[in-house]
Amino acid sequence: MQNVYLAATSATPEVDFRFDAHRLSLKGESYPENAQAFYGPLLDAASAYLAGSRGADIRIDVQLAYFNSSSTKLLMSLFELFNQAALSGNHVVVNWFHDEEDDTILEFGEEIAEDYPALELLTQALV
Amino acid sequence: MSLDLAAPASQQIAGQLLQQPPTVQSDNTNYDVLALFSEDIALANLPVVDAGRPVGIINRNTFMSQLARPFHREIFGRRACTAFMNAAPLTVDYHMPLTELSYQVLSAGEAVLSDGFMITRDGDYVGLGQGLQLVQALADQQAEKHRQMMESIHYASVIQQSFLQSSRREMAAALSDYSMVWQPRDIVGGDYYYFVRRPHGFFVAVIDCTGHGVPGAFMTLIMASALKQVLTTHDLTNPAEMLGAINRQVKESLGQLAEHEQDDEDFELRSDDGMDCAFCWFDTDACTLTYAGAKTPLFLLRPGEEEIDGFDGNKKGVGYVGTPLDYSWDNQTIALPQGSRVYITTDGIIDQIGGTKRIAFGKKRFKAALLSRRDAPMIEQQRELLARFADWQGENSRRDDVSLFAVHLP
Repeated sequence: MQNVYLAATSATPEVDFRFDAHRLSLKGESYPENAQAFYGPLLDAASAYLAGSRGADIRIDVQLAYFNSSSTKLLMSLFELFNQAALSGNHVVVNWFHDEEDDTILEFGEEIAEDYPALELLTQALV
Repeated sequence: MSLDLAAPASQQIAGQLLQQPPTVQSDNTNYDVLALFSEDIALANLPVVDAGRPVGIINRNTFMSQLARPFHREIFGRRACTAFMNAAPLTVDYHMPLTELSYQVLSAGEAVLSDGFMITRDGDYVGLGQGLQLVQALADQQAEKHRQMMESIHYASVIQQSFLQSSRREMAAALSDYSMVWQPRDIVGGDYYYFVRRPHGFFVAVIDCTGHGVPGAFMTLIMASALKQVLTTHDLTNPAEMLGAINRQVKESLGQLAEHEQDDEDFELRSDDGMDCAFCWFDTDACTLTYAGAKTPLFLLRPGEEEIDGFDGNKKGVGYVGTPLDYSWDNQTIALPQGSRVYITTDGIIDQIGGTKRIAFGKKRFKAALLSRRDAPMIEQQRELLARFADWQGENSRRDDVSLFAVHLP
């Protein structure tokens, strides 16, 4: 399984998917003109990684300050994949980082926790 | 330089950069070359041409510095001028498009920028092109393309705004104290609103279609036509039902069905676009508001109350693949005491990055701005909000389209 690393741009986050270490991270902002084109390959890579995975301890660190609505939908697809993986015997922890004063991002995290209950989602305030 | 400005930007060719300086033959001497360079101070490059065929380019600076070396003039003066010539200059055909030429220049390396390049027709020398003129022509071409694109987007904006005209008129006729902000991020955008009067109230929709810019604007037209159709067949006092009807219509017309909802195989090619929105029916007789929301909250400031109340709609957007075909939204009926103020906004304001920490503007700051001018006319309250919003945004670029409908009920 190939790891994926993409450096951040002004409209896309840094992507660091270290599948071999079961550690994934997204960091920055996300508002590409074509969100499908950006996230499509990442979703493919993640589902290839998860195919047949059992009993893995997976950690996902998410530190996003802004994402537009089309990115939101694709991020949800990503969490859906990991939620399924958690239901089929993996342990998935999502560290959801937000600025301590950023309620908007915090609320997003809380919604994800509600929508994908198989994920162990921990909101982490950045001071 | 004679640039043919009438040629469409996409058809500009190397020949338009053509210059015709004097030429020499390879059996001319370096003294001949020196004479030509001394005669014309502006002559930077001298093409060497034999029987109509390009041979090389003599660059003034290279030539002069060679000749300035000790005894070089005496040794080389009477020799053939090919001694200090660039014998392998870039040579291109008259009809080569400028874009292709620019790639050739890049791969040929730095010398082209000082020496220029030979332009030929059927292999015969016709003139010389200069790097600087190429850069100028490319810049002009770029500016022209940009101008054409912006002109087209500005005209698209005229069309999009004309779609809002009737709502603007209706709003002005029905309401005495209100404000409507509509600011697309990129001249045209994916935000849209609709307003219509009825004898006992009015209906308002504030809509955020997927995307912004041109694709966003396309979506607003699709949604506007779906909305128009639903308005003729559905009861606008029941916003939730209208959302359901639009959801079905959009999903079917854009083919945005979930895998189990359709049977053809090109599932991957399907778009997944839709809208987040708030649909509201204001009953001015009963002083109530019926609100159905698709990921778009509504805010209410009742007279005499300390805080602004927030109402969340359903968590599904309209028309998206992930929203079931038969999904039904919920109506919330809210009493509106006299003097209530209602605010509906798309996510453009609340999610905007800014401040010293570069975080979202957020609901807290949104509410605080409104409360700071809680008794002012809506237009002034709006001004205060937008001033704080602009301040928050600061140097950061606008991330999304911004819309806000706000009404103060008598």
